Amino acid sequence: MIELPLLFFYLFTILVLGVGLVVTFSANLLRSAFALFFVLFGVAGFYVLLGGDFIAIVQILVYAGGVNVLLIFGTMLTTDVANPVKSNLSFQGILTAVGAIALFLLLYGVIRSANWGVITPDKMEPTTRLLGRMLLKEYVLPFEVISFLLLSALIGALVLVIKGDRT
Amino acid sequence: MNLEGYLAVSAALFTLGIIAFISRRNSIAILMGVELVLNAAALNFVAFSRFSVSPASRMEGQIFAVFIILMAAAEAVVALAIALTVYREFKEIRADRLTQLNG
Repeated sequence: MIELPLLFFYLFTILVLGVGLVVTFSANLLRSAFALFFVLFGVAGFYVLLGGDFIAIVQILVYAGGVNVLLIFGTMLTTDVANPVKSNLSFQGILTAVGAIALFLLLYGVIRSANWGVITPDKMEPTTRLLGRMLLKEYVLPFEVISFLLLSALIGALVLVIKGDRT
Repeated sequence: MNLEGYLAVSAALFTLGIIAFISRRNSIAILMGVELVLNAAALNFVAFSRFSVSPASRMEGQIFAVFIILMAAAEAVVALAIALTVYREFKEIRADRLTQLNG
């Protein structure tokens, strides 16, 4: 009998890598955008398995609910989604495949050969309280910087897309 | 599952993102490749913090993952604004056709 976290690990792996292939290789861009949605859900599942409850919810809310919806909007506004053959990929054949497989084998070799010096964790605890405390104590400066970054990105995006005379 | 399993999944996701980023023609598809790469990086951070030796640093990877998600949101907003502006200007979104700055 296989234990439950391991079973979910394999399920999420199949989900993430399967729909990740669709994101990368699908000729229909809108299908790629919707497949990205499932990749984000699978990564949120990995976060749950790794004991990050808050981060998984943030991933679903911000990434799947915000960023990916924006990407779908962008896809529909710019490409000819009714005619998906035109909005497809340029697969530069052998060279990309060889390079990608070589990159993955290199990374995998490093992962297998390195001695990470890690432990086997025992239990999972709720992380929200601890994360909030860290964000307002040790990491308060990065926290403020990232909020300023979000504000400037908001204003910058508005300035970029605003219509009319911009002098 | 041990650390190597998560790192292997993350490496595969990173490779898929790199392929999308290099070989896709549409600018928004390139942006999706960037999102895959960022997700792989955040997954690495959370996995390392879960299996970390010192109890004090169990949370730090998750803090970094929060920052990565927020940064990805800002990046996606600005990149899509640029893509929409470029599309309005040139009626074209494919990166290999946008050769205005080619000289």
